[in-house]
Amino acid sequence: MISLLTHSNPLSYLPHSSPTPSISPFFTHTKTLKPSKLKSLKINSILQYNRKPELAGDTPRVVVITSGKGGVGKTTTTANIGLSLARLGFSVVAIDADVGLRNLDLLLGLESRVNYTVVEVLNGDCRLDQALVRDKRFSNFELLCISKPRSKLPMGFGGKALVWLVDALKDREEGCPDFILIDCPAGIDAGFITAITPANEAVLVTTPDITALRDADRVIGLLECDGIRDIKMMVNRVRTDMIKGEDMMSVLDVQEMLGLALLGVIPEDSEVIRSTNRGFPLVLNKPPTLAGLAFEQAAWRLVEQDSMKAVMVEEEPKKRGFFSFFGG
Amino acid sequence: MASILTLRLSPSSYQRLIQPNLTGLRRAELGFDSCRLNLRNDQRKAKKFVIRLALSGDSDKQDKSIQDIVFVNTRNTLVKFRESVCSRPHIFVTKRTSTSYVAVGICVVTMFLVIVMRVYKSRISRPSRPGSVADLVRRGQLRSDRRGISSTLKYEDPFNNPMVKISMTNSTVEMCGKVYRLAPVTLTREQQNVHIKRRSRAYQWKRPTIFLKEGDAVPSDVDPDTIRWIPANHPFATTVSDIDEDMAQTNVYQKHGVPFRIKAEHEALQKKLESLQNDQKFSKLTIDAGNAKNFERPFRTQLKPDDQVEEKLSNGPSRHTQSDCTRNSLGSNTNTDDIQHT
Ligand SMILES: Nc1ncnc2c1ncn2[C@@H]1O[C@H](COP(=O)(O)OP(=O)(O)OP(=O)(O)O)[C@@H](O)[C@H]1O
Ligand SMILES: [Mg+2]
Repeated sequence: MISLLTHSNPLSYLPHSSPTPSISPFFTHTKTLKPSKLKSLKINSILQYNRKPELAGDTPRVVVITSGKGGVGKTTTTANIGLSLARLGFSVVAIDADVGLRNLDLLLGLESRVNYTVVEVLNGDCRLDQALVRDKRFSNFELLCISKPRSKLPMGFGGKALVWLVDALKDREEGCPDFILIDCPAGIDAGFITAITPANEAVLVTTPDITALRDADRVIGLLECDGIRDIKMMVNRVRTDMIKGEDMMSVLDVQEMLGLALLGVIPEDSEVIRSTNRGFPLVLNKPPTLAGLAFEQAAWRLVEQDSMKAVMVEEEPKKRGFFSFFGG
Repeated sequence: MASILTLRLSPSSYQRLIQPNLTGLRRAELGFDSCRLNLRNDQRKAKKFVIRLALSGDSDKQDKSIQDIVFVNTRNTLVKFRESVCSRPHIFVTKRTSTSYVAVGICVVTMFLVIVMRVYKSRISRPSRPGSVADLVRRGQLRSDRRGISSTLKYEDPFNNPMVKISMTNSTVEMCGKVYRLAPVTLTREQQNVHIKRRSRAYQWKRPTIFLKEGDAVPSDVDPDTIRWIPANHPFATTVSDIDEDMAQTNVYQKHGVPFRIKAEHEALQKKLESLQNDQKFSKLTIDAGNAKNFERPFRTQLKPDDQVEEKLSNGPSRHTQSDCTRNSLGSNTNTDDIQHT
């Protein structure tokens, strides 16, 4: 475990700025419509809404969101990244590959509109475009479920079916989607194999605890064996207050153990649960929440194939001002 | 007689008796302050009236009653009379309002009861599966009004997001009002490669291409590493494929028109009906689910090879009727509920 203190010196960060051309949008793109005003401010803004991220890589970008361990936030990540990509203007198809326990539709608030699934498409009961559920908020976001909870899909067939699906989505009339996000089920069973088959990049979601990390390492190993080399990780449910007390691994510790580039760090946030129950992903929340902002930034990096250059480690102790003496 | 008797009791009781007859109505119309105006007329009327009453009586107590009446006409009693007249309608009105309060109260209570009953009834008659989203909404665990229809954050909205600010030195970030310390990421490409090498040594894996149930024979041309063994009692996975893969693939790629299977079934049905029409008998037969069901028997006896399609044909409508039945029964249930509750 590296100590946080070795990184805490701000001066050590500044000369570190990486030589690669793709640097985080936070630090490079300070070009805004109000530059003069910004310069005069001591603190400037990170997320810039007047700029849209530039899409890197070939479309469709087929991204599988996986974790190994269950319940670490794959579905939450898929929903939030998917909708923020849609909000940025990219066309997105989210595939819920969780055959037994699907819940992406619930998180998106689309559960009442799923009539057909991939199983019906394969059976010839409907066409593929009839099985795609278009989101009402963003018409460039579509959801596709693999199967209804009780229907059986022959194993070893799902992977093939997903490859066909991606292929069919490519030459649709309205054009190839920019992103195909696949929400992978937990474990490394048939569902996992199905989900990773068509993917060419992966987002690994993990929490900063030892059980999730061991599963994550295994899954990364399997993905690499399968030829998926572009793997980025997302550390979810980070509690900065616990890191400070050394009760929890820091994100940098996690990174040292797994050796993956960081796509995002999502803090533990009660708003996540609330948004789950509302069927309204966090990234659409107004005002923005801590976790929602983090998801949005992760989506931004995903588009630009970028990774984090700095992470938040702990809460700065509040500077006690003069007036704090009077109960401030 | 009775009137005289009551008159005798006291001057005030006399007033009480006479007053409503004479002025009650008008007072009710004009209110308290107008009583003085009417009083002069009333005095005369009252006098006449009482005298007439007295004359009509024939008992030995006549004198006394006349005295009483005379006494009434004295100044002192007139003042009293006036006062009591003025106060009379007061009693009268308060009595009336108290009764109307009761009536209004009863109305309110009954209305409230009716509302409660109706709400309760609708609660009971509402069909809800336990654990369904609708049920969760009803139990207050989900907010229906908020599911998927909130107003969205506008893309252009926060021009410069005020929630995320990074300090000039890049050492801290302020998010949602909290200041966090930033630490740079130090992972290098070499370190990543070391990890990749470590994992490639630790995990050797080939993506399974074939799924076999325990006990199945291994095909000769398959790499044993790519076989995935599935327990026989797996909850949702089957290894046997009843899907025709080529057809499934064409289904996936189909972009227009009716899906292949439905079209095929439809065509088969059409053919069958045509052949039947050619045969004889059912010359007026059209493709109609109800009709098709009725003619299920002749189909079965005459056409053996297309049994499957025919099965679907007969299944389709029967399933429909079943669901209709359940819907009807549900509906009738709620109806009877309603009747019971009303
Ligand atoms: N950052 C967070 N803060 C608080 N709660 C979170 C956070 N991320 C996820 N959760 C909660 O964790 C639970 C599991 O999340 P989610 O369903 O996304 O996990 P999953 O990996 O998809 O699970 P499964 O393996 O079952 O598919 C949810 O109830 C969610 O609200
Ligand atoms: Mg999930």
